[in-house]
Amino acid sequence: MNTPAIAAAGLAKAYGDKTVLRDLSFQVGAGELLGLVGPNGAGKSTLLRLLLGLVPRAGGALAVAGEDPARRPLVVRQRCCYLPGETGVYLQLTGKQFLDFAAGFYPRHDDARRDRLLGQFELPLRQKVRSYSAGMKQKLALVATLSPDVDLYVLDEPDRALDASVRFFLRDELRRLQHDGKTILLSSHHLGEVESLADRLEFLLDGGFVPAARLLAARARLRQRPRVRLAPNAALPPGAREVRREPDGTLVVETDGDPMAWLRSSPVGAIDSAEVGIPRLEDLYALLLQDAANGGVA
Amino acid sequence: MIAGKTWREIRWLCLAYLLVLELLTVPVLLLWPDIYADLQRATLFKNVSVDFLKRIVEGVSGDNEQVAYLNWCAVMLFFRGTNLVATAAAVLIGTGLFARERENQTFEFLLSRPLGRGAILWQKFWPSALAVTVPIFVVSATAIGWSHVIGLELPLDRLMLASTHAAAFALLFLAATTWLSVLLRVQAHVAAVIGAIAILQIGLYLTQRIRPYTLFRLVDFEWYGPILAGHVRAPQMFDPWQGPAHTTWLLLGAVVCYVLAWRALRAAEP
Repeated sequence: MNTPAIAAAGLAKAYGDKTVLRDLSFQVGAGELLGLVGPNGAGKSTLLRLLLGLVPRAGGALAVAGEDPARRPLVVRQRCCYLPGETGVYLQLTGKQFLDFAAGFYPRHDDARRDRLLGQFELPLRQKVRSYSAGMKQKLALVATLSPDVDLYVLDEPDRALDASVRFFLRDELRRLQHDGKTILLSSHHLGEVESLADRLEFLLDGGFVPAARLLAARARLRQRPRVRLAPNAALPPGAREVRREPDGTLVVETDGDPMAWLRSSPVGAIDSAEVGIPRLEDLYALLLQDAANGGVA
Repeated sequence: MIAGKTWREIRWLCLAYLLVLELLTVPVLLLWPDIYADLQRATLFKNVSVDFLKRIVEGVSGDNEQVAYLNWCAVMLFFRGTNLVATAAAVLIGTGLFARERENQTFEFLLSRPLGRGAILWQKFWPSALAVTVPIFVVSATAIGWSHVIGLELPLDRLMLASTHAAAFALLFLAATTWLSVLLRVQAHVAAVIGAIAILQIGLYLTQRIRPYTLFRLVDFEWYGPILAGHVRAPQMFDPWQGPAHTTWLLLGAVVCYVLAWRALRAAEP
């Protein structure tokens, strides 16, 4: 049996009295892509830092690439490349100087991948990073992170500040990495994209993973909640009640039965537009948090 | 890698510091004949009541011009020059070593590379240490040439001993600032704390009865003067059994601050 790329058992982390992670147990197999989602402050970045040995854990056992990051952090970091949540690029360097600097820490590089990323991102490498936009800085950090040839890539919100076309390219690139046998752990706020990419998704909430059954139930319930824009002066058709009104006027409603049936039965012209079956991450957070407050019932 | 990047970041500051130190030195050396003549004629300065100022005035206005010139160099090159400029350069360079990484959000990037924290600290520290200390020796060496212009001698060996002592003092400030730079997250806070410590020490130094117990007592005229006069040699500077060993204490202080910086960095979280 192959050694898992990551194996955690009973992992815990606290800052003073505040528990950030509690009793986390999971495994990521070699060549697997695990997506990590959760609201801000759920402990995603802390979990990634624990994997790199950047912060000490309060309890539990952890092995990354077969090594305990608390005991042998350098060995772990030689085998994995990390993209921090804060885009760590040196403003005073040019793009090329930064890439050379970042590359110097690793012995092996995939030049083809580096060239492919640079070709797609079209970064002005001779200019100082100071002059880059937020998206360009993120692209530069991605090139620096994905160019080294390592076994595991740990990416904290890799799609931050990237537009849709670049996110699609990144998705393809991560698939290619996975095809090459690399293990990827990524956290993101874009639920849809993580879902389409990841072999497995873990939802981190309140320091622990949300059980799959609870997540499924919450998502099923969210599918009952279409987002609609009513026509001017139109009332909400019967068979649904308002859950929330957003600042742009969009209503989140909960239907008594099948939302598609409710839409079809609505009077013609009452609803300008509707979005059904695409749960938004923030709605999922809100529902799960509400459920947690009500005793964990989805 | 980190050492090269550190040097790239501080090279212009180092050059500016070298130029300032040189520009402070050249006029006071070239103008020495006129200054000495003025000091010989003046009587007001000889009656100053502040004890250490009185000793300085007596030292630089004695009848033997060569001795007076050595004392003048002790005051101008070291008591004024390196104590002010090298200390300021050490603080300016040390402040940014880690606090700037936090401010620019590159601290986590740096810590997550496959490089030990001790190595990160060392690769940032040694180019900074060279940037702070080498200009002291360079300016001292050029002072020999400027002295020849006015027909006076500055012995190289004594000048290098005094420069070593000044470099040890600058290293102490660099190491202390580096430690604070790891502990504090904002460069301005590091500069404020180290500035407050320096101002407090200077204030205490100017207080007669407290002066012997202050940091600047280790680098004042009464230490540099005897070194340049040849009364204090290497054994008295370094060996506690043969002399006050002020240089050793300064270097020891720098080592302690460096170790504290290393411990702080080892425990630092992104």
